[in-house]
Amino acid sequence: MIEKLFEIILVSPFIWMSLLAMIFFLRIKINERLLSESVRLFCLYMFFTTLMLFVTTLIHSPSFLLLDLEDWIHVGDYHFKIRFIVDLLGATYAVLTTSLIGIIIKFSRNYLHKEEGYFRFIFLLSTLMFGLLIVSFARSLDLLFVGWELVGTASVLLISYFHDKPRPVSHAIKAMVTYRICDMGILAAAAWSHLQFHSTDFVIFPKMLHADPHSFGPVVVGFFVLWASLGKAGQLPMSSWLPAAMEGPTPSSAIFYGALSVHLGPFLLLRFYDYFSHFPSLLVVVGMIGAASAFYATLVGRTRSDAKTMLAYATISQVGIIYVEIALGFQNLALFHMVTHASLRTYQFLRSSSLIQDFVENPMVEHHKFIRRGFFFEKFISQSLREKLFVHALHGFHLDFFTKKIIEAFLFPMKCLINIEDKLMIFDTYLLKLILRKTK
Amino acid sequence: MKVSFGFFEFFPLLSTFIPAFLSIFYDSGRKWQDYVIAILGITFLFFTYIFFTEDFNTVHSVHSLFDIRYNKISIFIALLYSGSLFVGLFPLRSSISLSSSFLFYIAGGLGIILANNLPTFFFFWTFQRFIPMKKFLKEGRGGTYFFQHLMTLLCFLGLMIYAHSEDLFITPMTDYPASFFKWPVLLLSFIIIYQSHGIFPFHSWVHDMVGTIPWYEFSAIFLCRSGVLLFVQLLLPTLKYDPDFFKILLLSLSIFSSVYWSLRGILESHLNKKTTYFYIAQASLLLTGMQADFTAARGSYLHMLVISIAGTGIFSILNYVQNSYSFKRKSQFYGLSLYFPKLSTLFCLFGLCVIGVPLGASFVVEDLVITGLLEYHQYLGLGHILATCLNGILFFLLFSQIFLGPTPFGDAPVNKDMKLLQMVPYLMALIILLLIGIIPGLFLEKISW
Repeated sequence: MIEKLFEIILVSPFIWMSLLAMIFFLRIKINERLLSESVRLFCLYMFFTTLMLFVTTLIHSPSFLLLDLEDWIHVGDYHFKIRFIVDLLGATYAVLTTSLIGIIIKFSRNYLHKEEGYFRFIFLLSTLMFGLLIVSFARSLDLLFVGWELVGTASVLLISYFHDKPRPVSHAIKAMVTYRICDMGILAAAAWSHLQFHSTDFVIFPKMLHADPHSFGPVVVGFFVLWASLGKAGQLPMSSWLPAAMEGPTPSSAIFYGALSVHLGPFLLLRFYDYFSHFPSLLVVVGMIGAASAFYATLVGRTRSDAKTMLAYATISQVGIIYVEIALGFQNLALFHMVTHASLRTYQFLRSSSLIQDFVENPMVEHHKFIRRGFFFEKFISQSLREKLFVHALHGFHLDFFTKKIIEAFLFPMKCLINIEDKLMIFDTYLLKLILRKTK
Repeated sequence: MKVSFGFFEFFPLLSTFIPAFLSIFYDSGRKWQDYVIAILGITFLFFTYIFFTEDFNTVHSVHSLFDIRYNKISIFIALLYSGSLFVGLFPLRSSISLSSSFLFYIAGGLGIILANNLPTFFFFWTFQRFIPMKKFLKEGRGGTYFFQHLMTLLCFLGLMIYAHSEDLFITPMTDYPASFFKWPVLLLSFIIIYQSHGIFPFHSWVHDMVGTIPWYEFSAIFLCRSGVLLFVQLLLPTLKYDPDFFKILLLSLSIFSSVYWSLRGILESHLNKKTTYFYIAQASLLLTGMQADFTAARGSYLHMLVISIAGTGIFSILNYVQNSYSFKRKSQFYGLSLYFPKLSTLFCLFGLCVIGVPLGASFVVEDLVITGLLEYHQYLGLGHILATCLNGILFFLLFSQIFLGPTPFGDAPVNKDMKLLQMVPYLMALIILLLIGIIPGLFLEKISW
């Protein structure tokens, strides 16, 4: 039964996506109300099927189901097998995905009413759902990459949702570059694991580690996985794109950068936790990156003045804390933190667009009184250090500047090569003209 | 079904060469244009038919100075050659004016594809390169094009003299014995192959062509894949005897070349140049898969299909858009998706199918090529991943510059998309690319030789 249920969960969004694509290309005019109602019903259906799967896996937990479907690609001895793992971690993320996307669809019915790109928005959310469901249950790195890339592509296209404005497009480019650089990590990990373990099925990786415990290769695989996780999670040094990604419509910011996409980083680490636990040094790195990101995002977030950017930095800092939890071995806590944080952030992002109205009209909130409650650790820091930290935090600790310098350093040899080539081409043309003049 | 040779064998060359020569003396304007597109369509159908007819896959060689042959790889490349040009040109047939020299480009390209021995290959190769060279010499520019082609011409002559000394002058390229491949032959063929394919360090001639000749003429030179064909027929059968460092050098240069073209494209602001660099960066990766192993080679053949169709589609859409709006203004964005919503979506989907996004054809290609390459050498596999990554970034920059952002044009946006009927070739091509990405087995079975 569980196999059939799982197949339904995976095939349904794909069929839905294909249907939407056909409607678009055949230029079938579809009423906004009809579209939103049908997508709402579809989300409801997806939510209940994933919930059933979640309940089933919860009953059978901690055992899990390994599913091997047919070969997707088969050439000679090479087989790209479609392999899935149905466990509590995957099922939890799947329920989170379908429930939050359902909420976003319901919210955007009013929020994006009569927007020209409403259909595009729905299509990209469907792509996101399909991608996330693949990531949730993928058992091999190459299959995981399929879902990972679909999420990334949908994310970039949604950041540039308001594509007639320059800022959203520039920020989409920034996100795209970060994604591509980090997604290389998954591809490289898949490639390296293929060499190390002759498979990309990560369930068997920990078992195969015992064959050669001192080999350097497995650490490299772990490093690449960590690298890939940093991009989506917006952790240091890949943090600067996340606040910039808030240019998309608020519902998409909520679902991508408050809830689902940003938590794919910790999700990946949790998927690989059994593997990472063999390398304490890697876990230390995970913890350090998480702590540094949390510290950085907290400071920078406090200097920002708009709600969505503050929320973006708050998200980075919470995800950083989840990284620390994973590094310390609190897997269940990290999963719990992930689900609750994603739900809370979705709510906050969705409310952020009406924040000012809330302050004005909501009788529960006192007019213009921002009351600071609680204990503030800043008191322990000297005034001069606080001022210095403030200035650096205001500039985002010059992260963009350093990134730019690294990119420039990478491009420098290429620029030199291009210069030499251009000069040689000028010389060639000069020589040709000289020869032509002589022959005349 | 038994298909006899005879007229069929010479049909593609006759149907292109005779009108090409006639066009020198008799100019009938737009009629030539319709004829060119019709002949591309018929040639495409012809090659599709013989590709799926098993009996046609026989080796036919007459061992004369002029020797052509139909085998699986040449039929496949010819099919892509005519099919891609047809897909690219058919939707634009009323908005462009092809020159009569384009017929020579097509004829030369078909000759290169079907050539069976070195003299025939050399004849068609020189023939096709001669047309732009004549133009450059007349205008007194294109120095790098001239000198690099001169060097390759000398290499060709050297190779033929060497083959003649070994009594192999008119022997089919695939029949050369392993003993023929001494280091001078390897070196000369390396230069010819890499120069023809636009790979570093023999790539600079491309700059002289980009932006100065129309995209379809440029495509006709690149789509016949002279470098790939020479490599497959000449070097590939003997590569196992070669010293290993030679193979690594070839692979590294192909990957570096792709990285180079991608970065050059990223730094470039001229849209036509950017598009061409994107296309060549992808094409540079063709040779890497072929050199690695069987799995990667199958990936490369599929890659050839993907970049031929998608690349021409991208060029064609760009050309249509450019006919409506000039890109000469210095602007960061052109925001043309407001004017061309359907075409911008098609452009984006063609690009995504090329840069390795899942469910697009190129994902399958990348998977096969990278796996095969890693089996051979892990660092080269990582280099390939880097090249793919940069290529993806270049595509998004290109797409955003043309279609996204605010429009610098004063008029209110009006839908200027093509009619649905006009877009049919693009849609068919896109369906094929998506089918490859979703059900790759269907296509991989056919690409086997």
